[in-house]
Amino acid sequence: MAFFLAMMVIGLPTAWGETRAIEAQSQAERTPTRTPIKHFMFLMQENHSFDNYFGTYPGANGFPKGICVPVDPEKGGKCVKPFPLGGRAISDLGHTSAIFKAQVRGGKNDGFISAFAASGDPTQQAMGYYTDKDLPYYWNIARSYVLFDRFFTSAGGGSVWNHMYWVAAAPGNPKMDSIPEQGFGNIPTIFDRLEAAGVSWKFYVQNYDPSITYRTYLAQDNANRGAQVIWAPLLAYARYLDNPKLFAKIVPLEEYFTDLQNGTLPSVAYMVPSGASEHPPGSVKAGETFVRSLHTALLRSEAWSSSAFMWSYDDWGGWYDHVLPPVVDAYGYGFRVPTLLVSAYARKGHVDSTTLDFTSALKFIQYNWGVPPLAARDKAANNLLTAFDFSSPPRAPVLTPDTLDIPPPPVSHSDVIYRTYGIGILVPLVLSAGLILGMRLLRRRVGGSEEVT
Amino acid sequence: MITARPFAWPKRLLPGQAERASTDVPATMAILMPAALPRRSWVHSWLFWPAVAVITFAALWVRIYRLEDSGFNSDEAVYAGQAASISGDPLMLQFFPVFRAHPLLLQSTLAAVYEVTGVRDDVGRYTVVAFGMLTVFACYLLGATLFGREVGLLTAAIIAIMPYHALVSRQVLLDAPQTLFNTLSLWAVARYSSTRRESWLYIAALMLALSVLAKETSIILAGSFFIYFALVPQRLRWRAVLVSGVVFVAVIATYPVSLRLAGSSRTGGAFITYQLFRRPNHTLTFYMSEVPPALGFGVVAAALAGIWLFRHTWRDTLLWVFVGVPAVFFGLFPVKGYQYLLPIAPPIAVLAARTLLRWQAAERLSAPPRRGVWSAFGIRLRMPIARWRASDRLRATATESRWLPVALIAVALVSLLVPTWRAIQPAERSTFLAGTGGIPRGRELGAWIDANTPTGITIMTLGPSMANIIQWYGHRESRGLSVSPNPLYRNPVYDPLPNPDLAIRRNQVQYIVWDSFSAGRSPHFSQSLMRYVERYKGHEVHRESVVERSRDGRDVDVPVMIVYEVRPL
Repeated sequence: MAFFLAMMVIGLPTAWGETRAIEAQSQAERTPTRTPIKHFMFLMQENHSFDNYFGTYPGANGFPKGICVPVDPEKGGKCVKPFPLGGRAISDLGHTSAIFKAQVRGGKNDGFISAFAASGDPTQQAMGYYTDKDLPYYWNIARSYVLFDRFFTSAGGGSVWNHMYWVAAAPGNPKMDSIPEQGFGNIPTIFDRLEAAGVSWKFYVQNYDPSITYRTYLAQDNANRGAQVIWAPLLAYARYLDNPKLFAKIVPLEEYFTDLQNGTLPSVAYMVPSGASEHPPGSVKAGETFVRSLHTALLRSEAWSSSAFMWSYDDWGGWYDHVLPPVVDAYGYGFRVPTLLVSAYARKGHVDSTTLDFTSALKFIQYNWGVPPLAARDKAANNLLTAFDFSSPPRAPVLTPDTLDIPPPPVSHSDVIYRTYGIGILVPLVLSAGLILGMRLLRRRVGGSEEVT
Repeated sequence: MITARPFAWPKRLLPGQAERASTDVPATMAILMPAALPRRSWVHSWLFWPAVAVITFAALWVRIYRLEDSGFNSDEAVYAGQAASISGDPLMLQFFPVFRAHPLLLQSTLAAVYEVTGVRDDVGRYTVVAFGMLTVFACYLLGATLFGREVGLLTAAIIAIMPYHALVSRQVLLDAPQTLFNTLSLWAVARYSSTRRESWLYIAALMLALSVLAKETSIILAGSFFIYFALVPQRLRWRAVLVSGVVFVAVIATYPVSLRLAGSSRTGGAFITYQLFRRPNHTLTFYMSEVPPALGFGVVAAALAGIWLFRHTWRDTLLWVFVGVPAVFFGLFPVKGYQYLLPIAPPIAVLAARTLLRWQAAERLSAPPRRGVWSAFGIRLRMPIARWRASDRLRATATESRWLPVALIAVALVSLLVPTWRAIQPAERSTFLAGTGGIPRGRELGAWIDANTPTGITIMTLGPSMANIIQWYGHRESRGLSVSPNPLYRNPVYDPLPNPDLAIRRNQVQYIVWDSFSAGRSPHFSQSLMRYVERYKGHEVHRESVVERSRDGRDVDVPVMIVYEVRPL
């Protein structure tokens, strides 16, 4: 009896898990949507501005010609032009709301170097930029899919506000750019809307430690991993932590790969990185490799033809961007950030100049799955629809290369081969036939046997 | 009644001194030869044309029977891929460079066919079948020139259903066209020796040059010519030799000239270096175990029996030199391939056909040795008179029988047909000897990969063989784990994976394909490959299996190819 009970205990969760998996798969595909997109994934990387990554991208709103940012805008004089970073080591520039204001400098947008005067930054690193040689994969993505060149962070500040706008269309902590001690309380998130509508969702966290939440992240042991709570704002919600059903949807990033393999990818998925976030001084190459692995996994799954995967950057990281952010309210917008979207329905090589921010993704989710908005910001935001072309059939999956060294198309040398071998084969055959014919004719004329006796 | 007479060692007969082969024909075989009719009146022979029809039908049947049932093996994929690249197919150009190890006679011919039919694997095989059929005809010419038309017919019949030739001429390999032109050059030399007309020497040089353009190893047959003319002195004018040499060089210059014009002149040197330093892939006795059954034991025995039965003439010298030189060369050359000795099949077939048709009139049998068989070798032994009389009676019975030769020929042909029939059945197996046919399930695997994986991915295979098949059928870049980073030990065409770990971690390799055929040859790399599958969370997404009979008699599914997705950690 005990044995059978034990078997039931062991078997039930497995069976239940499998049933849930099948249900999730069916749910995502069966859930009605207003577009062919059944799966929407949004990855949030860290701390780079649009000009920092795509300032020299042809066709995008990149560096103005002759731009030179003054070292001291008050006094004028020496200025610094944008310069290529190449492979040099970079440091983490300040990216608080104070730095933001100092760089915007009342709308003049020329304080990018002077904002760091107090820290005495000799490198003027803020003016550095990457090129296609440094970011070959991202540039190849932009050439094949969609690059947004007017995508702003939702807030002129750092991570906490922007991550909260990303999930809740609100700053979260109106007083400062940090997590309140009591968490984010009852601020509604997009996941609440999805949960209420029965739309499947997950929050994938790379290198996830479920024990590190807003309640524990400040402890000494968790100091290094505390960013997890900032980047995954749901970990700062009591109701998400205390509700097992909701908490179970905050999962390790590994599940993204198994979900793709098993066909259980949810309708909406947010993702946050860990070491490969591109947060300075972290490697941008490592970030590219990380993003490419997520993209590749999607490409080779059955979900590709009904998915959209986009990634952006939570704040500008202190880097120069020449576009003055529009003011929409007390918090935003912040500077532009690099944002790309891949999908079987994405326009090819399209630079989208629609004014967008993180709440535009919320707008798309609400539009596609028919859930209500969260706040005034997402209600007023522009949609992402301009990036898609739903009139064409879904594009076949093609792996985007991570190199610019695309070899030139090989040459078939057909003309050389046909001419040389044509002569080399036909001439001997014709000659041989001619010789044989000639001998026969000669024999007939002379008469007698050909054989030597 | 047989009259015993002293047996003498065979004299070497020079060209021009040989008696006409037709005078040796036993009465039973006269019906096959229109000797009583005008020499060119083949159409009047009531048996000749039906025999030609049967031989042609049999040759065609064994070469096209279920030809498309299994997909290409690695070599076929390479040669067909080269042809597709020459024809300008943009997809194949990515994976199969035009210039590789060998000259391009077959590939350029196939490319011209592709221009009309489009690139398809069955077209390649049917093109090679055409070369095989022409070889059957060339064998008739060779046999008829040397020993008469009936020997020519039987030679053609033997080649038509010989397992070795049938099997190899069903595959897109260079050896079938090589053998055709080798046979034609051998025929031309035979014609020269018979007629002394220098034009035949030029034709021999032209055909040998074409054979070299098919596969460069035919160059060793130039050595066969030298040895033959050294062993069988014939008056050769220097002018004829010079012209033949010039003609030969001019035709084979097609290969380096084409390389030069295409800007790939270093390719040939790179391949020569590679071939010289390749590690042996088979044992020294490989050909001794594989080739005789492929030729047919009866055929080999009949050919060898001819050495003992018949007086040695220049014809025997010619044929045995063309057997011996390739056999010795490839036997000693470290790199061996099942199909490399195919050029010896026609001369072996001629020798066997001669024995099967002429043995009753053989000098050895018409003059029984006084002291037994050992006296033929100069060893005198005492033999009981009774045994001598018994062997004499047996000999008399055999040589006067009308039906025994027919029965022997029938047995010989059936002994070829049965193994040929078995060899051409599309076998479901998990191991494979290169050169013996298509790879089971390779085409199906490639089709799955083409339909179910993103364009632009890279696959890591165990070795370059499976990589070639995947590139042909699956149109995805594939690299063999076993390809050595050392340029001395790798085919210059293949790019190695010097650091597979790094390649997977950087997402530059997205799939791994394991196959039982390569694993059987290299268990070490098979284990290495599976370690990468485990380390990088390999997830099986597809497998191809064959049905094999287990030891207890049950049919079991044996996986032969497995596709894994891998990803960076």
